[in-house]
Amino acid sequence: MKLIYKLSLIFTVLACFFSSCEDQLTQYPITKRVADNFYSNETDIESAVMGVYAALQSNNLYGLYVPAIGEVPSDNSWEEVPANDGGIFGQLDEFTSIPINGIFGRIWQQSYIGIQRANVVLNRIDAISFTDDAVKKARKGEMQFIRALLYFNMVRIWGDVPLVTKETTNPNDFFGQTRTPVADVYAQIEKDLTDAIANLPEAPSDPGRAVKGSAQTLLGKVYLTQGKYSDAKTQLQAVVNSSLYKLLPNVSDVFSIDNENNEEIIFSVQFASGVNGSSEGSNAFSQFSPSGTVASAKGHDLPTHELYNLYSDQDLRKGVYLDVTDIGTPYLKKLTPNLTNSSDGGSDWVVLRYADVVLMLAEVDNQLNNTSTAIDLLNSIRTRAGLQNTTAASKDDVDKAIQLERRLELVGEGHRWFDLVRRGEAISTMNAYFNSTGKNITIDQHDLLFPVPQTVIDTDPVITQNTGY
Amino acid sequence: MKKVMNYAFSRYWKKLKALFLIMRLISLLLLVGTLTVSARSYSQQTKLDLRLQDSKVGDILLSIENSSRFIFIYDADVINSLGKKSIEVKGQTIDQVLDQLFAGTNVAYRIDDRQVFLYQKDALGKVSPIMQGEITVKGSVTDASGAPLPGVTVAIKGTSKGTITDTDGNYSFNNVPADATLVFSFVGMATQEVPVVGKTTINVVLAESTVGIGEVVAIGYGTDSKVRVNGAVSKIKSESLASYASSNFDQAMTGKISGVIVNQTGRNPGDDSQIVIRGMGTLTAGTNPLIVVDGLPLSEGSSLSSIDTKDIESIDILKDAASAAIFGSRAANGVILVTTKKAKHGKLQVNLDVQSGVQERSDKVKLVDAYDAAIWFKEARDWGYVSKDPANRSAADDNATRLAKGASKRELNLTYTQPYLDGKPGLTNTDWYDAIYRVANYNDYHLSVNGGGDKTNFYASLGYHNQQSIVIGSDYERFTLNMKMDSQLSNRIKFGINTNTSYSVKNMVGDGNWKFPANPVDVGYIAYPFFPVYNDDGSFAVSKQIEGNTPQDGALAENPVAMMLMSKNRQYNFRVFGNAYAELKLTDYLKFKTSVGGDFRSSFLDYFQPSNIGQYRTHVGSLEAHSNENNIRAEDYIIDNTLNFNKKIGKHTINGLLGYSYEQQTDINSLLSATGFVDNSIDNVAGGSNFAFDGNRYKWTQISYIGRVKYNYDERYLIDATIRRDGSSRFGKNSKWGIFPSFSLGWIVSNESFFAKDKFVNYLKLRGSWGSTGNNQIGAYSSQALVSGDDYVLGGTLAPGLASTSSPNANLSWETNKSYNIGLDLGMLKSKLNLSSNYYNSTTSDLLLNVPVPQQSGYSISLQNIGKVRNTGFEFEFSGQNFKLGEVSLSFNTNLTTMKNEVLELGPGQDQIITGSNNAFRTKVGGPIAEMYGYEITGVYKTQDEIDNSPHLDGTLTGDYMVKDLNNDGKITPDDRKGFGTYAPDFTYAFGANLNYKNFDFGFSFVGIEGRKVYEKLIYLFTEVGEGFSMADQYYFDHRYHPVDNPDGFLGQPNLGNFSNNRKNTRASNLFFQNADYLRLQNIQLGYTIKSNTLQNLGIAKSRIYVTANNLITFSKYRGMNPEASADDPLKQGDARNTWPSIPKTITAGVNVTF
Repeated sequence: MKLIYKLSLIFTVLACFFSSCEDQLTQYPITKRVADNFYSNETDIESAVMGVYAALQSNNLYGLYVPAIGEVPSDNSWEEVPANDGGIFGQLDEFTSIPINGIFGRIWQQSYIGIQRANVVLNRIDAISFTDDAVKKARKGEMQFIRALLYFNMVRIWGDVPLVTKETTNPNDFFGQTRTPVADVYAQIEKDLTDAIANLPEAPSDPGRAVKGSAQTLLGKVYLTQGKYSDAKTQLQAVVNSSLYKLLPNVSDVFSIDNENNEEIIFSVQFASGVNGSSEGSNAFSQFSPSGTVASAKGHDLPTHELYNLYSDQDLRKGVYLDVTDIGTPYLKKLTPNLTNSSDGGSDWVVLRYADVVLMLAEVDNQLNNTSTAIDLLNSIRTRAGLQNTTAASKDDVDKAIQLERRLELVGEGHRWFDLVRRGEAISTMNAYFNSTGKNITIDQHDLLFPVPQTVIDTDPVITQNTGY
Repeated sequence: MKKVMNYAFSRYWKKLKALFLIMRLISLLLLVGTLTVSARSYSQQTKLDLRLQDSKVGDILLSIENSSRFIFIYDADVINSLGKKSIEVKGQTIDQVLDQLFAGTNVAYRIDDRQVFLYQKDALGKVSPIMQGEITVKGSVTDASGAPLPGVTVAIKGTSKGTITDTDGNYSFNNVPADATLVFSFVGMATQEVPVVGKTTINVVLAESTVGIGEVVAIGYGTDSKVRVNGAVSKIKSESLASYASSNFDQAMTGKISGVIVNQTGRNPGDDSQIVIRGMGTLTAGTNPLIVVDGLPLSEGSSLSSIDTKDIESIDILKDAASAAIFGSRAANGVILVTTKKAKHGKLQVNLDVQSGVQERSDKVKLVDAYDAAIWFKEARDWGYVSKDPANRSAADDNATRLAKGASKRELNLTYTQPYLDGKPGLTNTDWYDAIYRVANYNDYHLSVNGGGDKTNFYASLGYHNQQSIVIGSDYERFTLNMKMDSQLSNRIKFGINTNTSYSVKNMVGDGNWKFPANPVDVGYIAYPFFPVYNDDGSFAVSKQIEGNTPQDGALAENPVAMMLMSKNRQYNFRVFGNAYAELKLTDYLKFKTSVGGDFRSSFLDYFQPSNIGQYRTHVGSLEAHSNENNIRAEDYIIDNTLNFNKKIGKHTINGLLGYSYEQQTDINSLLSATGFVDNSIDNVAGGSNFAFDGNRYKWTQISYIGRVKYNYDERYLIDATIRRDGSSRFGKNSKWGIFPSFSLGWIVSNESFFAKDKFVNYLKLRGSWGSTGNNQIGAYSSQALVSGDDYVLGGTLAPGLASTSSPNANLSWETNKSYNIGLDLGMLKSKLNLSSNYYNSTTSDLLLNVPVPQQSGYSISLQNIGKVRNTGFEFEFSGQNFKLGEVSLSFNTNLTTMKNEVLELGPGQDQIITGSNNAFRTKVGGPIAEMYGYEITGVYKTQDEIDNSPHLDGTLTGDYMVKDLNNDGKITPDDRKGFGTYAPDFTYAFGANLNYKNFDFGFSFVGIEGRKVYEKLIYLFTEVGEGFSMADQYYFDHRYHPVDNPDGFLGQPNLGNFSNNRKNTRASNLFFQNADYLRLQNIQLGYTIKSNTLQNLGIAKSRIYVTANNLITFSKYRGMNPEASADDPLKQGDARNTWPSIPKTITAGVNVTF
C-alpha cells in the first residue's frame, strides 16, 4: 500500500511538472508562413502576387525553356551542338523529341505551379479588403493575365491540356482528370483576358506589372492564333489607339539594359543582375550564345546563317538585334551578357512589345483586305530599321513581307515557331528549310505538337500521349 | 519460351552456386570446429620436461605451474609435510609426472583441464578432501588483463550464502565448508565455479563472457541476460569493431551481424554510411535507424563520426519490432544501442592505442589512355557526322568539308589529336584518376584512463583521429573527449554523469554546396588525357582543355586537380552530448531513475571558389569569385523518468518498467552567400559585396509514456510485453498520438527437467514476438501547408514574393511497422557452438509517401500516409568459441541473412511509381521497391538488313542496340520494358575466424552481398554509352562495335552527335543495370602480445602490436567506382551517385599499451 502511495506521488509530481509539455506538441513553423494564416491582408496578397510573377522567372518558363521552344524548332534558329545537355535542345531542333525530354516536363510542371499560385490569389482576394479597390482589381487582372498567358503557351505546345481554375485543396482530387479540349482552354483564356482587360489599369503601379495593354495584346494574339481576325483587330487596334505605346525611334534603345520597361515594351518578365545574392538574373544569354564565346555558353538557340543573310546591309537591326562572332557564327544580342556571372544576366525577357502589335495588326488588316493599312503598318517597322518601304503590293505578297518582317524584327523573341504553326506553314517551311540546308530531316503533322511529359502519364495514365510519340 | 526459361534458370543457378559456395565455407568452418572438439584436452597433450633435485614438493608444483598453464589447488601444509623429492622427466604428461611425484604418499589428484586438485587418500583408498569443517577463504578476483574486479559475487554453490569483492577485487569469506564449491559471477564475465577442497586462498581470473547465451544485452531502458530476451537482438563487441580502421563505427559494423546492411555511402572520411536493418521498410520518410548512446537518443541523421569507435564497449541492435517497440515512434527502422566504455572500480588503469597506416583506392575503373582516346573520339565524331546522311558524307571528309555539309561542332575531328592518331611517342598522356586519387594517411590515437575509489569511479578518454581521403584535397581531423563518472552517494542514491565532446574539421569533395557543375571526381571522366595537370613551371595548367576543345566543342572541363586544390569547402563541427542521471533505490525491488540528456551541435561550413580558376564551360577569368558560409546550430534535450520494479518470488521473476519521456529538438540554419568579390585576397564571405541570406529554423517535440513487463517462470517460460504511447508535433492536429505495443514469448527448453543437459545440445530456446513501431522522420512541419519565398524584381528593384509550396494534411500521422519474429537459439558443446536463427516478417503500413500527384494541382508530390510494404527473411548467426587445436585456440562466426521486399499497396488508383534517371526505377504493387526497369538488350545491329528484319525502335542506326520485343507485338514500345532486380540484395553473408597461438592472435572476416544491381551514372551516362563526349573506360573501348576497327564488338558503336531514339531509350536497359555482388575481405589482422618482465618493470601491464588490413581483396564483377553509393531516396536506391570515390583499401599498424 505504501508502495502504491509512493508511486502515485511520484507520478503526480512528474505529471504536474511536465503538464505544460503537452502544449509543446503544437509547433508552428518559425521561419516560414503557414497557408492557413496567410492571405489574410493586403500585404500578404501583394506578396502572393509577386510569387506568381516569380514563377515566370524560372528557367522552366521565361528564364530559358519557353523562349527556346518558340525558336529552336523553327527555321530561325539552330542548335549548335545538338548533343549538349543530354540532347534536349537538339531534339527540339531536329524533331526527335521523346517524352522524357526534360524541357517539356519542366514547362508543364512550372506552368501549373504558376497557374495554381494565380488560382490561389484569385480564390482568396475577394475576401480581403484593400485600401484602394483599384489596386485590388488590378491584382485580379494581373493574375488573370498570367493564367491566360500560361495556358496559351500550353495549348500551343501540347494542344489539349487539363484545365484547372480553382485553388487546390487536395492534390489527389485531380486523379482521373483528362485533357481538356483546346477549344475549352481557349474559351477560358479569352474569358480571363476579357476580365483582365476590365480589371487592369492602363499604366502600371510599378514597372513590369501587366496592364490593360498587355491583356489586349495577348488577347489579340490569341484571336489571331485562332484565325479570329476581326476580334484580333479590335484588341490590337485598342492598343494602338491607347497611344500608350510606340516604336522607339532608335532600334538600339529597344533592348538596351539601361532602358528597360520603355514605351515599346508591353509585357516583359523582369530580371536583374546582382540582386538578392545574384538570384534574380537569367542565364538565357549564355545558354543562347555560341559555345566557347562566353562562360557557360551552350549555343542552344543561334540564329541560322540563312536568317542572318536575310538582313540587308542597310538594316539597322543587324549588329544590334544580332551579330556574328569572329568565325562568322550569328548570335542574338537582344540580351545583355553578365561577363562575370553568366547565370545572372540582367536583361528582361520581352514577352509582348509594340512592334509585335504593329506587325500582328498589319497581318490582320491584310487578311481583312485592308492591305494599304497593312502596308503602312509594315513600313513603320521598316522605316525604323532604316529600310525602304516595302515593294509588296498584292495581299499575298504583303502577307509574305509581313512574315519576313516578323522574322527580322522579332528574331529570337520566341514567336517564329508558333507563327509557322498558327499559319499552317510549319511543315512546308521546315521541310523546305531542311532540304535546302542538306539536313536529312522531314517533319509531318505530329511534329506540330510536342510530347506530353512521360512523368505526367506515369503519374496518371488517363492523360494521353500526343499522336506519334 | 525456351529462352525465357533458360534465362530464369541461369539466374537461379547463379544464386544456387553462390549458396553452395557459402554452404561449403560454413561446413569447412564446422569441420575445423569438430576437429578441435575431438582433439585431446590440455592435460593430455601437454608434455612436461622437469629436472629438479631435492626440492620441496611445493616448489616442484610451482615449477610445473611456471612452465605450463596448469594450476594446482591444494593445502600447502599437507604438501609441505611430504618433504623434499627429486624428479626427472622428459616429454611426459601431467598424470605421469604426478604419479611419479606422489608415489608412496597418501596424496591423490584429479585433473580438470588445466586445474589440478590434490587430495589426501584415506586408509580405505576413498577420496576425501584434505580438510574438514568450515574455513575462511580469501583471495582476489581479476580480469584477464590482471585488473582487479570489484563487486564480483562470491557465493557458495547451492546456498544463498555469499559475499562480494571490494574495490581492490579482494574478498574474505568466513565459514565456508571445506568441501564447498564457490561460484564467482559478475556481469559481462563468464561465471566460474571453483571447488574449495580445503584451500584458504583462492585467486580467480574471470574471463569475459563469450559471444553466446550468457551475455548481457542492452534492451532499451535497461539490460538483460540474452537468454531472457525473446526478440531479435544482436551484439557487436568492441574487439570486433577494432579490426576495421575507420573514423566511424558504422563502417566497422559491416558484416558483423545478420540482418544489418551497412552501405558505405559517405564521400569524405567522417561521413556516415547508410544503415539498413532488415530491409527498406519506408519509401519517403527517413530510413535512419534510431541510434541511442548510453540511453540518449541521438538526433536523427546526426553524424555518427562524433563517437570515437575506441570508446565503444558494445553495440546492441534491436531488429524486431517487439524489441524496438520500447522506443516506439522512432524505431521502425530498427534501434542501435551504443554502450560506451564504463567507469570501473579499482586501481588506475591507463590505456594507449596508436594506429597508423595508409589507404588507397580499390575500384577497377580504368579509362583509356591518350592514344586510345584519340581513336575513340575520332570514331564517335566520324560516325555522328556520317550517320546523319550516309549518302553524302564520309569519314574521310576534313573539317572544312564537314562544315560545308552542315556538320555541327561535335561532328568535326578534334584537330589536336592527330599526332596521337599518328602514334607519335612521348605526347602528354595524363591519367586523371592517378592525379585525383592518392595513397592517403590514416592516424588514430586514443588514450583512456579508468579508475575509482570506494564510492566513485570514472572513465576519461582523449582521442585524436587524422585521416586523409583517397581523393586529393579532402581530409578529416577529429578530437574527442569523453568523461564518465558514477558515484554511489548513499546506500540509496546513485548519481552519474557522462559527456561526449568532439570537434572536427573536414575538407570535402563535391557536396551539395559545390558550385562546380560536377565535383572533381566527376570531372575526372570528362578530363581528357591530352592535357597536363601542371604547366612546365609547376603551376596548375588551368583552362587548357577548355581552350583546346572550344573549336570542336569537346568536353570543356576545367582541370579537376586545380579545382580541388585551389578552392575551399571546409566544415567545422563541434558537438557535446551526454546525460546526467540519479537513481534512487526506493525499496529492495523498486528503483526510480531520472535522467536529463542533451545533444548540442554546431557546424560551420566555409566555401570559397576563387576567380583564378574556371569551371565547366567557363574559361578562367569569366567567373567572379564566390563564397558562402552556413551556420547550423542544433539543440536537443530529453528528460526520462523511469520506475523500475524487480522482484523474484519463488520461481516467478517479474521486472516492470514505467516511464515518461519528453524530448525537444531545435535547429537553426543560416546560409549566407556572397558574390561581388573584387579579388581573391579575402577567401570568405567578407570579401563579397552582394549577399543573399537564407535562414531556416525548426523545432519539434515528442512526449512518450512507456511501460514494460517482463515475466519469467523458473527460467523456463518468459513473457514480455511493452507499450509506448508517443505524441509528436510533426503530425497533423488530428493525429499526433500513436500507440506502439509489443508482446513476446520465450521457452527455454533446455531448462526443462526432461531435457538431457549433457548431450551435444546444452541450450535450446524458442522465441516468438510481435510488435509495432513507428516512423516520424519527416520534416518538422510537414502536415502544414507552408508558404515559402519566391522573389521577383520590378524594374530592377527586389519585390519579395511568397507562394504556397506544400499542400496541407491535417491527418498526416505515423508510419506504422508491425512485425513478427520467430527465433530459435541453440547452444552446443557447453555453448562453445551457438546458433541463433530468426524468421522475420514486417509490414509497414500508412507509409509516409511522397506520392506523385497530377501536376495540374500545382504540386508534383504530396506527402501522405499511403501504401504498404512488407519485408521478410531469415537470419542465421552461427559461432564457435574457444576451440583448441594444440596451443592454438580458435573461434569463428558466420552469418547469413535473406531478404525479400514486396510493395503491397501504393496510393489510391496507383499501381506503380516510376522515377529516377531515365525513368529507370519502378516501384510496383506486387514487386519490390525500386526495381531497375528498362529494355533488354540482346546485341548490336551490324547491318541495315538486321534492323529492317527485326522489331526495332524508330531511328535505329547500325551500331545501335537490338532490343528484345518482350510482348512479341512486332514493335519495340515502352511496353517492352521489364524489371531487372534491385539494389536491395537477395541475401548477405559474412564469415570470419580468430586464432590465438601463444602470444600471437590472427583474425579475418569476409563479407558478401548477392543479388544486388546498381545503375551507376558513371556507366550509363559517361564511360560506356559511346557518346564520345566523356572518356571511355577500357572495358567499353575493348568491346565497342566499330565496323572496321573492332567488328566483333558487342557494345554500341561510338556515336557523338547523332543520338538515335535507340541509344537514348536503351540508357535504361540491362546493359547498364550492373551486377554489384561482391565478396570482400573486410579485415585481416595479426597481433602479438608482448609479455616481458622489462615491460612490467616499466609499469606496462600489457602491450600488443598489430597489423590490420581492410578491404584488401574484393571479388566482384562490378565496373563502377563504389557499388554501395546509392541514392538516398528509397524509390531510386541503386541510382548510384556519379563516381563516388571507391571504398578504400586500408593497411594499418598499431600498438596498444596498458599501464
